[in-house]
Amino acid sequence: MALQGRGLRLPSRRLVTLAWPWLLLLLIFTAVRLSKGAAVIDAYALLTRPFWPGSAQSEWLTAAQQLDRQARLQQLETDNQRLRQLLDLDRADAGVVSAPVISRQAQGWWQQLVLGRGSLQGLSPGDAVIAPGGLLGRVASVTPTTASVLLLTDPSSRIGVWVGRAQRHGLLVGVGTSRPLLRFIDQDVGVRPGDVVSTSPASTLLPPNLTIGVVQSVNERAVPAPEAVVQLSAPVDAVDWVQVRLVRP
Amino acid sequence: MSSLVRHRWTLATALLVPLLVLAAPAPLRLAGVPPCWAVLWLLPWALVDGPLTGAVAGLGLGVLLDGLHPGFITQAPALTLLGWWWGRLGRRSPPIERSFNLGLLALLGAALQGGAIWLQQLWWGETHGAGLHTLLAQTLLTGLLAPLVCSLQLLLWRQLVPGLRT
Repeated sequence: MALQGRGLRLPSRRLVTLAWPWLLLLLIFTAVRLSKGAAVIDAYALLTRPFWPGSAQSEWLTAAQQLDRQARLQQLETDNQRLRQLLDLDRADAGVVSAPVISRQAQGWWQQLVLGRGSLQGLSPGDAVIAPGGLLGRVASVTPTTASVLLLTDPSSRIGVWVGRAQRHGLLVGVGTSRPLLRFIDQDVGVRPGDVVSTSPASTLLPPNLTIGVVQSVNERAVPAPEAVVQLSAPVDAVDWVQVRLVRP
Repeated sequence: MSSLVRHRWTLATALLVPLLVLAAPAPLRLAGVPPCWAVLWLLPWALVDGPLTGAVAGLGLGVLLDGLHPGFITQAPALTLLGWWWGRLGRRSPPIERSFNLGLLALLGAALQGGAIWLQQLWWGETHGAGLHTLLAQTLLTGLLAPLVCSLQLLLWRQLVPGLRT
């Protein structure tokens, strides 16, 4: 009876009055523990904001990241060159020649450029012509001092290309507009707008992995196989100087 | 009666056509498409000099222009035909020299030449998505420039080569 009476006894009012601040503190500590100290960290961030590191630190980091990327790119290019030589795909570059655009026919019945460099500077038919942004076309014919370039948009232009994300080959066909057509052989290609189109990694006619453009739209219902419209990345209307990649025969 | 072809320097003016094709001056383009310079040179030449030299000049000019472009498409047959046709029209009297007539003939000539190129592209399996746009722009621009350019050429040749048929 005595034990029963002690067990049922409620804590006295005075004890509760004394203990509730401690209970509240315990509750706060539990909340901090469960939230991983979020409120404390946020409060710390707010209080110390005036003392945060300045933008110089961020620029140093960005510069370091760029340096790291450049070094990795150089390393990958060296590796790529070595592997291509092993695979006997080394129709290696014999150099790059900068050439001025002396005539431009980007619209009309023909899409072509005339460059102010020719066979005297080592240019020959088939050389790739590059502008900032990617491939423009190929040298169609040369004279001693000039070279005619067939643009990718010309209706007679046809080159094999590669869509890296979908791992698909296609044929880039000029249609006389500023956006050539990408034709595939397979039915289910999985290409979608935004995919980057480049020259084939195994290409021997053109330098490999040159950016050409971006897929703008895909027509899945085209017969006999899907087609895509490609927005070229090199601005043919704006370039006054181009680079010609000379290749060893 | 004198003839333009006897004055060789007048034939040399045909060299301006490929130079203008290559230069493609931006102010003289419509929606990016240049006029048909060959038509603008050949029309007054053939009207003044007759069907035979008109056809020969058209053929020569066509062969010259074909060398500027890659592929098998040729402008020579259409220009030969135009030179012959305009030469025959020039033999009639009164001579064609009104601005509207010159503009209309140049318009028809540019349409014929552009249509011939387009048909050849289709024949060789080349899809030209902007074919209609190019044809319309070039035809319209050539027709608009012809009254000015062809009238000036007619006037110039008649002043510089005395005895021409008028």
